[in-house]
Amino acid sequence: MTESFARLVDRWFGQLAILPTMLLMSLVFLVPLAFSLYLSFQGWNIDRPLSGSAFVGVENYTALLTDDRFWWSMSLTLLYTVVTVALELILGFATALLLNIEIRFIGLFRTAMVLPMMMTPVVAALAWKLLFDPAHGVINYLLGTNVVWLGQQGTAFAAVTLVNIWQNTPYVAILLLAGLRTLPSEPFEAAQIDGASYWQVLRFCTLPLLKPFILVALLIRTIFEFRAFDNVYIMTGGGPADGTMLLSIFTYLTTFVSFDLGLGAATSWLMLIVAAILCAVFIYVLRDKRSV
Amino acid sequence: MSNDVKSNFPQRAHKASPEMRSILRVSSWRKIRSNILIYAALIVLLVLFLFPLYWLVGLSFKTRAQIFANPPLWAWEPTLDNYKAVLGMVIGDGALQGTNTGDFLKFFTNSLVVSISSVLLSLIVGVPAGYAFARFKFFGSGAMFFGLLLMRMLPPIAVLLPMYVLLRQFGLLDTYLGLSLAYTTFSLPLVVWIMRGFFEGLPKELEESAMMDGCSRFGTFWRIILPLTRPGIVAATIFSVALSWNDFLFAVVLTTRKTQTLPVMMAGYSSDVGIAWGEMTAAAVLVILPVIVFSILTQKHLVTGLSGGAVKG
Repeated sequence: MTESFARLVDRWFGQLAILPTMLLMSLVFLVPLAFSLYLSFQGWNIDRPLSGSAFVGVENYTALLTDDRFWWSMSLTLLYTVVTVALELILGFATALLLNIEIRFIGLFRTAMVLPMMMTPVVAALAWKLLFDPAHGVINYLLGTNVVWLGQQGTAFAAVTLVNIWQNTPYVAILLLAGLRTLPSEPFEAAQIDGASYWQVLRFCTLPLLKPFILVALLIRTIFEFRAFDNVYIMTGGGPADGTMLLSIFTYLTTFVSFDLGLGAATSWLMLIVAAILCAVFIYVLRDKRSV
Repeated sequence: MSNDVKSNFPQRAHKASPEMRSILRVSSWRKIRSNILIYAALIVLLVLFLFPLYWLVGLSFKTRAQIFANPPLWAWEPTLDNYKAVLGMVIGDGALQGTNTGDFLKFFTNSLVVSISSVLLSLIVGVPAGYAFARFKFFGSGAMFFGLLLMRMLPPIAVLLPMYVLLRQFGLLDTYLGLSLAYTTFSLPLVVWIMRGFFEGLPKELEESAMMDGCSRFGTFWRIILPLTRPGIVAATIFSVALSWNDFLFAVVLTTRKTQTLPVMMAGYSSDVGIAWGEMTAAAVLVILPVIVFSILTQKHLVTGLSGGAVKG
């Protein structure tokens, strides 16, 4: 009896090993997702029982797509994503180059760089909120200004962007550093023999060889910046006057503050669709460069 | 002097002439200068990235008066009052906004329980799956892995809303079970992703020789392969624990009073800060301390985890 059971396990080992994962993910992800889709076609309020909703068809979606606030949030989020990801990549790459230098005590600096990204985002946001404090913050002191950073649309957006860049550049830096250390040395030695300058080596050796890693960093950061929530919500709550109303905050407020669950579900599905498109684009591009 | 060089060189070959010495000095001087530049750049980097952390820690050791001193104090006599207040040992001076004194232990326990249980669950379920995805290519395995990747990338807010409704329906809101299950949405795909990368890095010969010796698939996995991927498991654990410990969105939606975690507590502090900067920063430092210490100790594995999982995927 046990003999054939063991053989069964052996034969289907792959499938059996994957089964719990797929079951669990279906339970905690797919089921809620499908339910959310269902909800998005309902007009529903939180105090009604589960079955007490009214089918409203695409009304939620049309309401959203004609809502100025939604489009403002969407474009703000896209702008935010582009700016943060671009800066994170550039700064992260420069940092990785610097951390790649084999010099005494470099290990210390590499360890130190890890800290910002391991900090709880809520705490990081709080720390920066204190730094940005108009009256007692260090930033105003150092710049000699009196700006209410989080109180005006433009500066609040800049502040929030800065904090996220600060927290996530180390992620890119470490990823690219790992990549740099796996690069073969032959091209660089050859370039040096040919008398290439530092910038030439960078442009014609480092960057092309590092492309897979850069693409991965680009993908991951885009996905995560698009859905940024914690930092921004703690620092500004989406304000001032919707100045930092990222999509995730917009969805959160619609769902859990206005308690319009149908509308919230529709918003999150629209957000999902955009995110899925971004994913698909990147994953397609990455599939072609299967060199790692 | 040049005459000296011509005549002296053959006889005094063991000692460099003044000209030679100055040339040597220049090249080593260049190396020292570039080293100084590098260290300078590194220090600038360090300051830029660690200053907020440094300032946060500094504020937690200041008294109310020291915090609001103008100009800001860069050196001061530290105090432990804030930490005592947060841990409910002694009430700090002045009015403490928010009702978080002494409850810190409760929030800490909640965070600990939920993080550990969700990561344990993700590891138990995800490590074998990572192995399977690395070694077995059966019908649908590629699609399923891709699906897992996709699930990790989609915005969690989309799942949170229905999860809230469903958990409420089954009475699982504000429970350890509910929150732990919710956390597996992001830690399980992460574990699978990282572990698959590591398993793929192992040579197939190991399993082949073990199975030729009569070992079953499960036995091979358990006794031979698994111990070899300890760094991968460490990396997966660090990231999952950090994600769970630091999570705010899931916790604030899915908990109310009994199981609120540390980030939710901190958020409560932030909206009601008033002038209690000392207590708030002390609480903040205590919140980030475990993860920071953990990641410093295992820093090597962080890099491998990021590259082994993220890139080989």
